[in-house]
Amino acid sequence: MRPLFPGAGEHGRNGAVRTGQAMSREKDAANYAVVFFAAVSILLLLFPVSKIAHTVRIAASYSLYPSLHYGARYTHYVRNVPDNFLLLLETDQENRALKEKVRELEVRLQNAAAAAGEGERLAVEMGLSRALPWKGVWARIINKTPADWYGSFFVDKGAEQGVAINDTVLGMEQGHAGLAGRVLEVYPKFSKVLLLTNGAASAVGSIEPEGLEALVEGKGTWMLKMNYIPEEASLAEGAEVVTSPGGLLFPPGIPVGKVKKVYSRESFMNFITADVVPSVNVNTLKEVFVVRRNLPKELLGARQAEKK
Amino acid sequence: MSIIYEVVIYLAVGSTYWWWSQNLTVFGLAPNLMFAAALCAAILAGPVKGIAWGFFLGFYADMLGSDMFGGYALTYTLMAYGVYIIKRHFDMDSLFSQLVASLALSWLSILFYQGLVISFSRPSNLDLRVFLSEPFLNALVVPVMFRIFYQLKRGLGVL
Repeated sequence: MRPLFPGAGEHGRNGAVRTGQAMSREKDAANYAVVFFAAVSILLLLFPVSKIAHTVRIAASYSLYPSLHYGARYTHYVRNVPDNFLLLLETDQENRALKEKVRELEVRLQNAAAAAGEGERLAVEMGLSRALPWKGVWARIINKTPADWYGSFFVDKGAEQGVAINDTVLGMEQGHAGLAGRVLEVYPKFSKVLLLTNGAASAVGSIEPEGLEALVEGKGTWMLKMNYIPEEASLAEGAEVVTSPGGLLFPPGIPVGKVKKVYSRESFMNFITADVVPSVNVNTLKEVFVVRRNLPKELLGARQAEKK
Repeated sequence: MSIIYEVVIYLAVGSTYWWWSQNLTVFGLAPNLMFAAALCAAILAGPVKGIAWGFFLGFYADMLGSDMFGGYALTYTLMAYGVYIIKRHFDMDSLFSQLVASLALSWLSILFYQGLVISFSRPSNLDLRVFLSEPFLNALVVPVMFRIFYQLKRGLGVL
């Protein structure tokens, strides 16, 4: 073999010979390797004609490669596969499809249960609304703001359905109507309702059976407060409070709540106060009945009056 | 110990390729990480190991495929041998030579594989979009993968 470095001495010549031999060995190894692996590859190319090999490979591919999950639908992917394995693939496909269907049906079932509950509730409310002496429209509560839970909510009826500012909003509680609040803002397709529990809301209440009038005010909590009760009133806990004929905003006789606690008179005041539990629990309200009041323009908000 | 690392790298490349082709395809196109890994291994490793890497990566690609079995194994085996021949004459460590090699070998590999498909399986269904775009995607990936493999070789003594 010709030395790589002709000018080198005997030692260098030996080293070059050794390097050349190593390269030759490496080349031989590469040649053997490529022949070996190429032969194995060609055998693999020929081998899948056997059903068992093809089946094993399809099974491995099916586990590794998601797109092959859908392979069972296309017979050309799984040709030459024994029927029992094909059946296994199809069963797996069927199982996946059924699981998806079960999930879908569970969602539908939940929706159906909610719809059935709503249907029952609406049926009761429709029956009640026929018994109500006022004309109005049912509205669904579409939005409650967590930050203003006892302050207001939106309903899905607006000016297009005849809702006007200051219309009375009733809620249903155990088959009885109760005062929930009044319409504060009206938009074409929805309205904002100011709840009686709002700190800015109030109504003139009449305490049954004597008919003593007092001002029921919201506190921003679930409880109402009744102010300006004459000190001589013999107010008992549990007494019912209804809207007073003296208040213009609300029709008379609508239940507002029941007296829960009566506070004794403070030395510097000449009236007493009481806590009132509202007739309507805003936490459970789903629909409300908006009573059309047809109030005089003077009682409407400026903007609404302009629109009209 | 290095054989364990090599098996882990091999499986990681296969899994990454599988995940990429499932989740990161753009218009159905993704770089062929198996090809890139086979090319990088052939550049960095000795001839026998490089050819073995080519064979086993091709074997993995064949496992993921659904038609012909052994086609990629043969293609990448021959490609690794070709790289062994080429790298005795050219410096394959440079970026430019890697880009040129990945472009040229991608096309050659695709054509060779399609030839095998016609010979062993059925009429070729070569997607022209893949044929035109995959080599460029591979060319982008090969230098990155080469750096990763190079670091792994230095750090773990693999390849």
